[in-house]
Amino acid sequence: MYEEKANFKEGTDETFRRVRGALLNVLEDTDEARKEAVNEKNKTMAIVENLTDGILLLNNKNVVEIISHPVVDFFKKDEKDIVGQDIRELLKGEDFKALRELLMSEEDKNIKIVHKQEVSVAKNMDLELTTVFLSKEGEVLIIFHDITGDKLVEKMKTEFVSIAAHQLRTPLSAIKWTLRMVLDGDVGELEDDQKELLEKTYISNERMISLINDLLNISRIEEGKFLYRQEPGQLEDVVKAIVEGSQELLKMKKMKLSVDIPKEKLPDLNIDKEKVGIAVQNLLENAVKYTPEGGSIHISLEKIGREIIFKIKDTGVGIPGSDHKRIFTKFFRGDNIIKMETEGSGLGLYTTKNIIEAHQGKIWFESKEGEGTTFYFSIPIDIDRLV
Amino acid sequence: MFKKILIIEDDKFLRELMSKKLLSMGYDVVSAADGESGLVMIKESKPDVVLLDLILPGINGFEVLEMAKKDPETANVPIVILSNLGQGEDIEKGLKLGAKDFLVKAHFTPQEIINKLKIILD
Repeated sequence: MYEEKANFKEGTDETFRRVRGALLNVLEDTDEARKEAVNEKNKTMAIVENLTDGILLLNNKNVVEIISHPVVDFFKKDEKDIVGQDIRELLKGEDFKALRELLMSEEDKNIKIVHKQEVSVAKNMDLELTTVFLSKEGEVLIIFHDITGDKLVEKMKTEFVSIAAHQLRTPLSAIKWTLRMVLDGDVGELEDDQKELLEKTYISNERMISLINDLLNISRIEEGKFLYRQEPGQLEDVVKAIVEGSQELLKMKKMKLSVDIPKEKLPDLNIDKEKVGIAVQNLLENAVKYTPEGGSIHISLEKIGREIIFKIKDTGVGIPGSDHKRIFTKFFRGDNIIKMETEGSGLGLYTTKNIIEAHQGKIWFESKEGEGTTFYFSIPIDIDRLV
Repeated sequence: MFKKILIIEDDKFLRELMSKKLLSMGYDVVSAADGESGLVMIKESKPDVVLLDLILPGINGFEVLEMAKKDPETANVPIVILSNLGQGEDIEKGLKLGAKDFLVKAHFTPQEIINKLKIILD
């Protein structure tokens, strides 16, 4: 009987020893895990604190949990007054109106999905904002990227281009006027060969003036100020005016131009007539330039769905397949057309594409080398505002 | 009676070229090389039309235009802006301030400018 008791006691002690050992192991592992977690957190905080972008981490109740230093400067509050606050409280007030409108949805005041949106939050502060939804639990990371410096440099560049364009126009005007007066006989009659030479100089000068206009347009596009005034208008009128103005050019190259406009009046479009005119003119000029003498061009306008489609088809040299991808890029001119027409800035299609897209339209083309090219653009009937 | 044209332009060469052309077409020409004297001349020489540059030393063309239109003595003198600026907002500003037309120098020959003036003078 005593032996049985002793055996039982040994068995129980053994069990206790084993359980104790297991618990100690678990404690050790837990402690290791805890230390690792603390290390990870310290690492993360060290990274976050040294970021140059403003970062806000919100929990699923829109409360700020972690911020990086620039956020403190932005809200002009101490860290302790930001962490633990509801973001919707922090964004109250007139000062944060632009930010609020960008970040918070109108209906439920929750944070919206935002990807690299630019917003001007103050006179000298432009930010690029992004929100990242981290998990199903609804944590959100808001990233404030300061682009004030970038914007300033952009502004200086385009101001420089405007000033340069103006300064360049002044001597070019002087040359234009002088040559014109000499060619018109205002300072005496010219011999034929003198006239011919000066006429070529005049044309060369006009090319420079035209190039400066193109460059000015480009700088305006990049400034985002390209479309000046949009008003309801008829695309038909714009097309007719450009066609009218091109009659001389067409006659010189003995080209046939046919225009197809539906009998029923097309709806008014909200357009910057001058700029759309430039777009149409660029396309027509290209069709003429890159089609050999005696060729033909066909223009048509059509309403399809909620868009007006402009189409211009030529029997010209076409665009080689290898050039298709680059046709709308700045300064690009295909090898096949540089050989036939050395003039050309390579800015026409870039400008045209920007004009059409600023009207929320699309531009595309079909082309086969040796057969001809057809360009299309569409403008939606319901444009609400300038892009 | 010869029509009198006032040119306000700071570039000497352009000013003289334009004057020469206008004189050859039978107009009476007076000129000024800066905004202040231009403004004085509008008042004193009472031109039938003014060709006004925008970039001028001292006060600029927009200011000349504004002041000329404010003064009842000169408010009715037609002013045509002749400048190498020419963005949408410059044109709109000029026309809003009361200019009769806005011509970009680099885009018009002297003859074409005179054709535009003829429309205003008649």
